[in-house]
Amino acid sequence: MRLFIVNTLPEDNPAARAAIHELSEKISDGQVMHTYEMNIHPCAGCNFCWLKTPGICSVKDGYEAILKEYLASDVTVFLAGTALNFVDYHMKNMVDRLLPLVTMYIKIADGQCRHEPRYDKKFCFGLLYAGTADQNYLNEWFGRVILNFGGESLGAFPIERAKEVLSCI
Amino acid sequence: MHLVIISGASRPQRLSNTAKMIDAFLQGYEAAGNTSEVWYLSNRNQWSEAKAAFEKENYILLALPLYVENMPGIMLEFLTQLSPKSVPGTRMAFLLQGGFPEASQSRCCEKYLEALPAQLGCIYAGTLIKGDMFGIRLMDEKNQAKTLSPFIEMGRYFARTHVFDKAVVNEFARPEYMSAKEIRIFKIFGRPVQRIFMGRMAKKMGCKERLDSKPYAYMRHSQGAFSKLKKDI
Repeated sequence: MRLFIVNTLPEDNPAARAAIHELSEKISDGQVMHTYEMNIHPCAGCNFCWLKTPGICSVKDGYEAILKEYLASDVTVFLAGTALNFVDYHMKNMVDRLLPLVTMYIKIADGQCRHEPRYDKKFCFGLLYAGTADQNYLNEWFGRVILNFGGESLGAFPIERAKEVLSCI
Repeated sequence: MHLVIISGASRPQRLSNTAKMIDAFLQGYEAAGNTSEVWYLSNRNQWSEAKAAFEKENYILLALPLYVENMPGIMLEFLTQLSPKSVPGTRMAFLLQGGFPEASQSRCCEKYLEALPAQLGCIYAGTLIKGDMFGIRLMDEKNQAKTLSPFIEMGRYFARTHVFDKAVVNEFARPEYMSAKEIRIFKIFGRPVQRIFMGRMAKKMGCKERLDSKPYAYMRHSQGAFSKLKKDI
């Protein structure tokens, strides 16, 4: 099993370092990407990834390597900061930029519209957050996010409980 | 009443569907002599003025497209930089628009927006929700005017009430879900119709690939390890 850890917190954040250490002890094959210093931009809303260069984001800031790693890995765990009782904008940008993983085509699933996945892959994503946030809401939000990308949420947990995110695999 | 509108759309104003809804809303809102100012976060040169307006004024409307079940990252970045209002009484309302037709798609975000104003020292004044808004900027003038006319009416309504009442909003936001009949029709005709319309849009934008192409398919690392990680920790 290959694990991809996306660390949106500063690379030297002690909680992030501890979480990465714990996760990598449990699954040894994988990759860590520290994105805080990469300054991942917000989604530009240009729709190029749907209508002009399908599957490829027009914003060239290193995110393409992250997209490829989602596809190459079995499980992705995000380490996120919090703000306003939610994930912070570094993490939200990361999620907004997932759009190239789906097509613009729409299907109906469980009575609601969903975009058709671009790849034949069931993504398995988890979220660990540092700071104050509403865990129930984060679970609901993250669950819907992953549903939209044809995947399964491992849930949202405080970063101090890192191992729990992998407990249901 | 003076209303500050801050748009959290990522697209530049001229390409923004949210901006078109704001324009229509203000037609109704200003009809009775109210005033407004609008700031677009897609233009970072406007952020300092938007912050100053938030601090100074008492009626705020945040307008946003639904981005992956919540607000766009750019809007979250802006809001994070605000200091909560120290003097109570500021009302904060929201205009939330999405691409999917069902209002139910916006409820997860709405839930967050209901709790947000209190964190910024403001009072929640409701969320106006509308789906099926993806194609507004691509419509001809006549269809655009028809689609946007309900926003003019909601602008008039907001000028009278200063709040988006949940019952009124729910009526405006309909349908909550697509009906069984609509779903049946969609399942039969949805895909071919989408192929035609989206294919046309893509052609206009110069697309040379299939819209469902997989540029990163079959990328699988043979062996990865936490080697860098182990060095670091």
